[in-house]
Amino acid sequence: MASRLSVTQVKARQVLQRSLLAIGSLAVLGSCATNAPQDTWQPKGPNAKMIDDLQQPVFAVAGIIGIIVSAVVAYAIWRYKDRGQPIPEQTHGKPALEITLTVIPALILAVVGVFTFRVIFDLARTDDTQLVINVTGQQWWWEYDYPVQNEWGITQPIISSGQLVIPAGVKVLLRETSRDVIHSYWIPALNGKRDAVPGRVHTLRLEADQPGIYAGQCTEFCGLSHANMRMEAVALSPADFATWVANQQATYQAPAADSLAKQGEEVFLNQCVRCHQVNGLKRADGTLAIAAPDENVWSGAAPNLTKFMTRNTFAGAMFDLLRDACRDDVWKADSAEFGTKYLAGVDESCLNVSDLRAWLRNAPEVKPMYANPALLADTNGKYRGMPNLGLSESDIDKLVAYLLTLK
Amino acid sequence: MATMVTQWELPMAETATHDTHATSTGLSNVKLGMWLFLGSECLLFGGLISTYMLYRGRVSDGPTPEQIYDIPFTSVSSFVLLMSSLTMVLAVAAAHKRDDRGTNLWLTITALLGATFVGGQVYEFTAFYNEGLGFTTSLFGSSFYTLTGFHGVHVTVGIIMLLAMVAINKRSRVPGSKSETVEMIGLYWHFVDIVWIIIFTLVYLIPV
Amino acid sequence: MAIIERPAPGTTVPALIPAAPAITPTRTFGALRRPVATKGWKSWLFTVDHKKLGLMYGATALFFFIVGGLEAVLIRFQLAAPEGKVLNADLYNQMFTMHATTMVFLFVMPMAAGFANYFIPLQIGARDVAFPRINAFGFWCLLAGGIVVNLSWFLGGAADGGWFMYAPNSGPVFSPSNGVDFWAFGLQIAGIASLTGAINLIVTVLNMRAPGMTLMKMPIFTWMMTVVQFLLLFAVPVITVALFLLSFQRSFGAQFFDVAAGADPLLWQHLFWIFGHPEVYILVLPSFGIISEVLPVFSRKPLFGYPFVVFSGAAIGFVGWGVWAHHMFASGLGPVSVAVFSLATMAIAVPTGVKIINWTLTMWGGKLVFTTAMKFAVGLIVLFTIGGLSGVTHSVAPSDTQQTDTYYIVAHFHYVLFGGAIFGLFSGFYYWWPKMFGKLLNEQLGSWNFWLMVIGMNMTFGPMHILGLQGQPRRMYQWTEARAGEGFFNLAFWNLVASIGSVILTLGILLFLINIVVTARSKVRAPLDPWNARSLEWMTSNPPKEHNFDSIPHVHHLDEFFHRKYEEDSATHTMREVATAEQVLAELERNADEHIHMPSPSYWPLVLAVGLPVVSLGVIYSIPVAIVGGVIILYAMYGWALEPSVAAESDFDEPSSNGHNGHAVGTSHG
Repeated sequence: MASRLSVTQVKARQVLQRSLLAIGSLAVLGSCATNAPQDTWQPKGPNAKMIDDLQQPVFAVAGIIGIIVSAVVAYAIWRYKDRGQPIPEQTHGKPALEITLTVIPALILAVVGVFTFRVIFDLARTDDTQLVINVTGQQWWWEYDYPVQNEWGITQPIISSGQLVIPAGVKVLLRETSRDVIHSYWIPALNGKRDAVPGRVHTLRLEADQPGIYAGQCTEFCGLSHANMRMEAVALSPADFATWVANQQATYQAPAADSLAKQGEEVFLNQCVRCHQVNGLKRADGTLAIAAPDENVWSGAAPNLTKFMTRNTFAGAMFDLLRDACRDDVWKADSAEFGTKYLAGVDESCLNVSDLRAWLRNAPEVKPMYANPALLADTNGKYRGMPNLGLSESDIDKLVAYLLTLK
Repeated sequence: MATMVTQWELPMAETATHDTHATSTGLSNVKLGMWLFLGSECLLFGGLISTYMLYRGRVSDGPTPEQIYDIPFTSVSSFVLLMSSLTMVLAVAAAHKRDDRGTNLWLTITALLGATFVGGQVYEFTAFYNEGLGFTTSLFGSSFYTLTGFHGVHVTVGIIMLLAMVAINKRSRVPGSKSETVEMIGLYWHFVDIVWIIIFTLVYLIPV
Repeated sequence: MAIIERPAPGTTVPALIPAAPAITPTRTFGALRRPVATKGWKSWLFTVDHKKLGLMYGATALFFFIVGGLEAVLIRFQLAAPEGKVLNADLYNQMFTMHATTMVFLFVMPMAAGFANYFIPLQIGARDVAFPRINAFGFWCLLAGGIVVNLSWFLGGAADGGWFMYAPNSGPVFSPSNGVDFWAFGLQIAGIASLTGAINLIVTVLNMRAPGMTLMKMPIFTWMMTVVQFLLLFAVPVITVALFLLSFQRSFGAQFFDVAAGADPLLWQHLFWIFGHPEVYILVLPSFGIISEVLPVFSRKPLFGYPFVVFSGAAIGFVGWGVWAHHMFASGLGPVSVAVFSLATMAIAVPTGVKIINWTLTMWGGKLVFTTAMKFAVGLIVLFTIGGLSGVTHSVAPSDTQQTDTYYIVAHFHYVLFGGAIFGLFSGFYYWWPKMFGKLLNEQLGSWNFWLMVIGMNMTFGPMHILGLQGQPRRMYQWTEARAGEGFFNLAFWNLVASIGSVILTLGILLFLINIVVTARSKVRAPLDPWNARSLEWMTSNPPKEHNFDSIPHVHHLDEFFHRKYEEDSATHTMREVATAEQVLAELERNADEHIHMPSPSYWPLVLAVGLPVVSLGVIYSIPVAIVGGVIILYAMYGWALEPSVAAESDFDEPSSNGHNGHAVGTSHG
């Protein structure tokens, strides 16, 4: 019987065209996406490649099934819409058909399951590790701690932040933990993500095929500046890596007497050294200056600035230390030239002065960090992130000059 | 909160169509409702017990379970609670026989036994606190007091239900069927007892 | 209207009778006399009628839908361009936390609860739910919970830890405002609504079915809602425990998530997701039920493979308990757990696929009528399929470690929850509106409503697949040009598309609200059986009488109503009409029951529910206030305990002499 409503004629095929388009564009993505630096479909190392090899067929099968279902629905809409045909026979189903259509997807999934199973265990291996790096998350930056490994020339622990430096073609194992809340370490080109959980140590394999720089981002919501907690993994050829390791362990060179930088060192000793360590830095009386971030920072640490200008970023990789042109020069270098360009570090002509000065002037203004003084009572007077130090412009001049010597 | 409220009202509730037709399952609505509620309660205690089992060895600077548990004392109070299940059974039997005096008597005794148990728990908490185990002392402390405290609240709610039943029974003001309501409270009471047996075994008897 | 119904032996139930004179209760049982209002706001405030409560659930949910929607639009405005300045970091974090909390707990769940309240008793041929007062109490708890959660906006900032509220970021130091406290207490109170509702509806379904209605003759919506209630019954206590631990830590210094004391932050994740994954099915199964009603009606043939749909629903309910850790593939569980949960997650795709197959085959060979309700139902099939398939890609754990916590998963669950849950609810609005209000929603506006929502939804969430695969993480208050890339798949373009899509989506939903107003003002009454429907709820007047059915129908078929209207011609195997809906209804009226005792209104559910937020505020701000709340609760329990659910004749004054001899049975309510 006819419906008693004035039913608008429906062009339901449009639904399907839309969804086909959506699924189609998904499929196309796989073949030509080379865009954003965190593209998850562009593996640049064997671990990420393993994931990619597993997921591409799954995406393809999912896309095909989506198209089939949509096409069947579209056909049914077209074929069976009410054209005045009689009310159909009241059939209640065909169990055989039903069971067949249940078993087929189950079989497809079983096949996917077998491969998934293998990759899960392959990605969990730790017995083939060649280099270990401890990675510690903290609101809102990552600390990299290279334990002593003589075969890599690491004879004293190297503590760094902002950029993870690894040798290309080497199986690196990150041992992750956190000092406050849960963070997640993710360099999509090199591997999937792994949470850094306080009180636990999780491992993550990382290996880059070629020298280069690979972008990442903290992916577990970790509070106010979660969006600003970025990371960059830098892969160097083994020779360049050795150079980098040697430089990180080189002894401290105090700035020349009477230079602006020397005055900056004084400012640093008065202000910054409460939290930030510079290895080898001595006070005027000749004693070593030891930072005590645990007394001043709630989460317990602040970035070690010993070789600050060998890194290209600061403030948890939120800001580049290189101005745009110089940054592009490094990021877009081909793998043969990359090492030389990266190891050149940051000099005065390339320094991103404006962001660095803004940071020194009033850090909480450029990066949200629970800076409200009223909150200090909750944290026994300790800071969460870098406070506003109230430096004068001339202090900032001096500090910038000093920081430029740390390389 | 959720738990207290619902436990309380279920036995008193009555069905909309109570007198129009029999139920499809044969079980009365209130009884079925109580069973479902107790099923839900299993998950509540399951969560609390899991938390305790995870944290029982994490004592920080505070006392360890071995240092503070007084097994003989707790065994006695557990026995008291166990006996209250027996008296509850007698109360239900009396209610079925429409023996009001018997019902009230056994309900009151059950409530008294329950109150003895809760009294023991209060004493135990005080003793533990004096021995240095506060709610915020350690993970063990937080999870111990939370688990046993939740159980204690359940027993207390049960006692209130028992005494309320006695009170309204005496004034012949029971909405719905009397024996049914007594049975309902009985279901709840036995459940709380069983949970205690599990807690006593896992918390007190099994060493860390 | 809510009634105090006085049995008057010897009279039959008249179909239409003027309202009875006011009746005064003479007895106070515990504390107060019964409420007697049959009209006006008091009749709503103290009602225990499942239909009124259903509508109140619906209205509340719709309000929170608008709130949550506005929060979503603000989020999209913030992310339309790089370095967005619409919201600051703090406000953005509150916004996405509250958007999810509102949509999950205060829109989809109560909207489904509203439909369940209204239609389960009607679908099974009952006159009300098993525990009408607890039902009312549940609604007031939901409202109280929603208010408490949202109160934080005005009292120092809302919760800012994400709806998943992972420890230790939810602790007092990391989230210093009171937002998380309000959030935890509010959800705790709303949880009471879910738990009491679950018990109530399960008992109703198991115990109060019309004679002849076996479980396998039960309408599919009732079936799916029953599965949902079992999920709630066992999932709610788990989140209750988690929320208690969180509140004890924040308010009383317990150490549950204090890592320095040795706590394991993964405890929260396990508790949360043991609740949280069944929760996903709690959100989506009601809509599966709705479209499993709508598709057969507008295909003019029964649901294909009814037992398969029932058992796949139950299977989803069971397996749904074994997949929670797929939300934690990146948490560092270890490969064995990851592998097991990965496989279990693949397994749950199978019964879900069964549903899609059955819906498609229901349409196959039918006589399809594309009303707005049907369009939303078909839209659900296609959109949910997309969401389901992206879900399958997530079940591959290694692949999930690339896509989780990116916009790809945001796309996935919005296709499931918007394309699935919300499209189903909209299908339900258009399908059941005439039953609830006696008027048809405007179909023309409905068509616009549907198409704008389809376009807006695909424009908003479709590009998020691309954003996620291009590596844009979720929960970031800003994204930067530096990580956006260039070319066709650059983040800037697709973020903008998604934001424009959200505006179109908003327009679509606005049209629905306009449709409600237009319909309310229209004078045209809906026909008795506007859709040529199949199940028992349509064997009542529009809207149904206070007591639903004049006589309880005896059920012989699945789709009982349809089989009373049509018979198969044994020769031609075609269906021919043997009775109109009006004739079927008249038959029920002729056999009207003489005594219909309906439960009476009560103050106590409301009073009891008012005590709970008072306790919560007291714990947050000042313990004496909490004690006041406790006193309110005890007072309400006392009054409740001593007041029988159904008022007896002796409770009332004799009716005044000029009154009617008959007794009041509600005829309709608007």
